[in-house]
Amino acid sequence: MEVITLAEKEAEKANAASISEITIEIGTLSGVEANAFETALAFLSTNTMLQNSRVQYILTKGDGFCPACSLHFEMNSRMDTCPRCRSFPSEVKGGDAFKVHSLLVDN
Amino acid sequence: MCDTCGCGDSNNITIHPRHNYNHDHNDNHDHDHPHEHSGNHDHTHTHSVGGVPYTHSHAHGHESIKSREIQLNVDVLSDNNSLAGKNRNHFKQNQILALNLVSSPGSGKTTILEKTIQALIGKHKIYVIEGDQQTLLDADRIEKSGAPAVQINTGAGCHLDAKMIDGALKNLTPEPNSILFIENVGNLVCPALFDLGEMKRVVVISVTEGEDKPLKYPYMFQTSHLCIINKSDLLPYVDFRVDEAIRYARSLNPELEFLVVSARSGAGMQEWFNWLEKLLNSN
Repeated sequence: MEVITLAEKEAEKANAASISEITIEIGTLSGVEANAFETALAFLSTNTMLQNSRVQYILTKGDGFCPACSLHFEMNSRMDTCPRCRSFPSEVKGGDAFKVHSLLVDN
Repeated sequence: MCDTCGCGDSNNITIHPRHNYNHDHNDNHDHDHPHEHSGNHDHTHTHSVGGVPYTHSHAHGHESIKSREIQLNVDVLSDNNSLAGKNRNHFKQNQILALNLVSSPGSGKTTILEKTIQALIGKHKIYVIEGDQQTLLDADRIEKSGAPAVQINTGAGCHLDAKMIDGALKNLTPEPNSILFIENVGNLVCPALFDLGEMKRVVVISVTEGEDKPLKYPYMFQTSHLCIINKSDLLPYVDFRVDEAIRYARSLNPELEFLVVSARSGAGMQEWFNWLEKLLNSN
């Protein structure tokens, strides 16, 4: 799993013995289902450096921008029409990230 | 393992080299020799100095555990994206037209490819990377129609990624000035998130599916350049409204191009070949 590989690589780079916490950012518009991901991570972290780590999630809201009327609005899906002028499609300006935000490591 | 839906196990990817098809050999090379390293090497020693036993302590100061925060802010798909960029450069430098074909299972990707290869192989060098969870069936079909093919089996995985393409390229080694079709795993969800380094993405749907498919799987239609609506020979027997499907898809992606074809009957296939020729000339 990419997240585990990435975390272990970075922890080793920092000469850390263990990872006590990992913070993962998942945007509403990232295409990643946070619940499905959480289940998968718990399952796959067995026998990895993340086995006993706390997992924190930063869930970011979708940031939509309507090019027709220049409104920024909270976008729950890429299918959302502009809440002011009803035009479609709007641009995604944020909330589409899927990132490993940070690690808390121990020596 | 697919980070996006939690499926699969990346350790189970198999890239089947070419010329490895239909060669059954039952060679019983059993290697039955367990190498056990139980690790318990007992050694006895008396702790004594000059015959005088002493108790020894393992005194050590407990170093305070230092927690450090490492700020990363790394895109989980960044590895894939940088490898996709590497693939893309390779394709550009060698003038290889790489196309990523995506669809749900059974829309007719492989049949479209077979007919395309049969029609164009005299004129162009064509190569195919086949992605399926299991079997070499599709690569066999492609090789029979005349193009070299490498099969990637993703095991339980649901999509191809840039690393698999990189691996397959080492085996397939497409010549410069050629066409490379990458037939993705039949799935309209996760393949949308993985750039393979292709020049264009082609989404295939068939008229036996719902015309509302673009609305149900918007990301795939938003990230594609061409939509092929296949099995048009079945239109008289199904309720699929081509205009509605196009309208739905265009509402998501106004730039999306459309071709209505029947790979089986050949209807509309010439327009598809023309689309390819146009890309080759601008490549």
